[in-house]
Amino acid sequence: METSPPGAAFKPDVAISEAAERFFELLKTFATAASGAQPEWSSLATPLATQFEQWLRLSQSAGPWFAAAAGVPAAGTAAGTAAAGFPPAAWSFASLPLGAAAASAGEPQRALELFSRLGQLQAQLAAHWSEVANTAAQRFVARVGGTSAAPGSVDQALKLYELWVDCAEEAYAATVHRSDFARLQADIANTSAALLVEQRRYAETLTRAFGLPTRGEVDALAAQLRELRRELAGRADAPAASAATGRERTARPATERTDARGARGPKRTRPKDASRASPRKRVRRPRR
Amino acid sequence: MKASDAERSTPFPELTLRIADTLSRLARARDVAVGCSLKRAVWKCGKTTLYHYLPLPATGRVSRHTRPLLICFALVNRPYVLDLQPDRSLVRRLLEAGLSVYLIDWGDPDDADRLLDLEEYIERHLGGSVRHILESHESEALDLLGVCQGGVLSLCYSALNPHQVANLITLTTPVDFHTPDNLLSKWVRGLDSTLIGASGNVPGEMLNGLFLALMPFRLAQHKYVRLLTSNPDQRTVEDFVRMEKWIFDSPPQAAAALAQFVRWFYQDNRLVHGTLELAGRRVLLGDVRSPVLNLYALEDHIVPPAAAAALRHFVGSPDYSECAVATGHIGMYVSRAAGAEVPGRIISWLKKRG
Repeated sequence: METSPPGAAFKPDVAISEAAERFFELLKTFATAASGAQPEWSSLATPLATQFEQWLRLSQSAGPWFAAAAGVPAAGTAAGTAAAGFPPAAWSFASLPLGAAAASAGEPQRALELFSRLGQLQAQLAAHWSEVANTAAQRFVARVGGTSAAPGSVDQALKLYELWVDCAEEAYAATVHRSDFARLQADIANTSAALLVEQRRYAETLTRAFGLPTRGEVDALAAQLRELRRELAGRADAPAASAATGRERTARPATERTDARGARGPKRTRPKDASRASPRKRVRRPRR
Repeated sequence: MKASDAERSTPFPELTLRIADTLSRLARARDVAVGCSLKRAVWKCGKTTLYHYLPLPATGRVSRHTRPLLICFALVNRPYVLDLQPDRSLVRRLLEAGLSVYLIDWGDPDDADRLLDLEEYIERHLGGSVRHILESHESEALDLLGVCQGGVLSLCYSALNPHQVANLITLTTPVDFHTPDNLLSKWVRGLDSTLIGASGNVPGEMLNGLFLALMPFRLAQHKYVRLLTSNPDQRTVEDFVRMEKWIFDSPPQAAAALAQFVRWFYQDNRLVHGTLELAGRRVLLGDVRSPVLNLYALEDHIVPPAAAAALRHFVGSPDYSECAVATGHIGMYVSRAAGAEVPGRIISWLKKRG
């Protein structure tokens, strides 16, 4: 059964169909346990835990943060399994025929280290999912144990399903609120982000080798542009503010008219029904 | 999944048919439209657009309360959830009350905007919108409605520019980011914000994944099974699809702004500690002196009620009111219960302070 990771190009209709399939799978599991004269609910623990763990691995993969940005395939998918021991395709830059001069040898090494670290962290995450799934299944078996009959109607089956959902979310919450889990999530996110930064650093080296403008250069230009814009806004607003102080207007504290960056305050204080004011009627600005 | 396949594989054929029926309704609802009220763009700054909603023809009157109302939505979601469809639209209820409603749409930041930071969003984009509206209305101050993360931006703006905000309404707005029940905060606390800033814009899908991961089984499985098994009519299915479209239609996040938001609010909790600075000025909630109405949801898993209710301890306004609604985070914008309560509260509160 395929599962779409919730984040990546999510399509509700696909997700809903998948949810329906998983729901039927669950109902079949319930039905199997309840097929005898006396339901054997304890036999549900293993299949329920297995199904839930599989779903958690597929849907949560490397955690929500940065997995996509880092180009890391979801754990549990074919690509993810393949990637567990090898760098992802995005890292095949080294095979470009640009020679050793294009990049220092240290960069791919650092990336491989990060990738290996990410694999270790994902293994730790998988252990958490296993714990969540087993706890959920045990909770469910314990709570449903008092039920003496198999679900005979749709309503009874849905009640059983609701109970399973409660147990699953409770077990999940008990784990994900823990500080060790939070630390792991952060580690995964930070390692993925570091991998992405490393990947881009390597790409920058290649870009430079091709004589193309690099991201760093573009960012520097953008920062320069931003500073110029601020300076321009400051210069444009300074005369307006000083002219405004000389104008006849209701006295107000100076801080009201300009903010730290010289943004203009209201030009008139005439109290009127604003809804009747023409939006086209602009307040004339003082000439410089 | 086809009905015939499911019928063979389930012990409840009746349920199978019910689900197959819902799936076919879902297929018909796939292209359902979102957004309903007419609006026009009146100002732009970078990717940000300020919209002014056209008055409803049916309203046929000018309200006594004529001060413009600006809605500042979160950066992480799209604002059309406030105007999803005629019977689920906060905007429409406000227009019906005769208010002059403006809305900021932050747009889709691209790589050219990766250095866009919170100072620019607050001072240039939000501030520019405010100044444009004030000039257009020849008014000294407007009413500001900040939603979720947009409420945080609105609080910052109100603290820095108290005379431009006559009344402030915060809706599902986190203030104390370190309350014990805040799972999102626990996860984000250990992130390296410098790395976030350096790794470029963050795709909206990734944030969606993060929000779903807070309650994955309920949000990515149980919710759908409930719909499938509840025998919904076509209209209910269309309402559901509209919501799903909105939930998964999230804009990318400018790297610098997101990194700052994580660091300043989720990690350092600067609003509460009074240590936030923007453009060289200290942002103190005590400087928010306009009347404040704080609305929050009691079952909110993204902004826990305690995180929002904390505003009462820090805001400087002598006229502070709050209202807790028994719904979830998104339910606050679109649920029938909140739809009956939230717009009415806002309108009557504003009118009392007109």
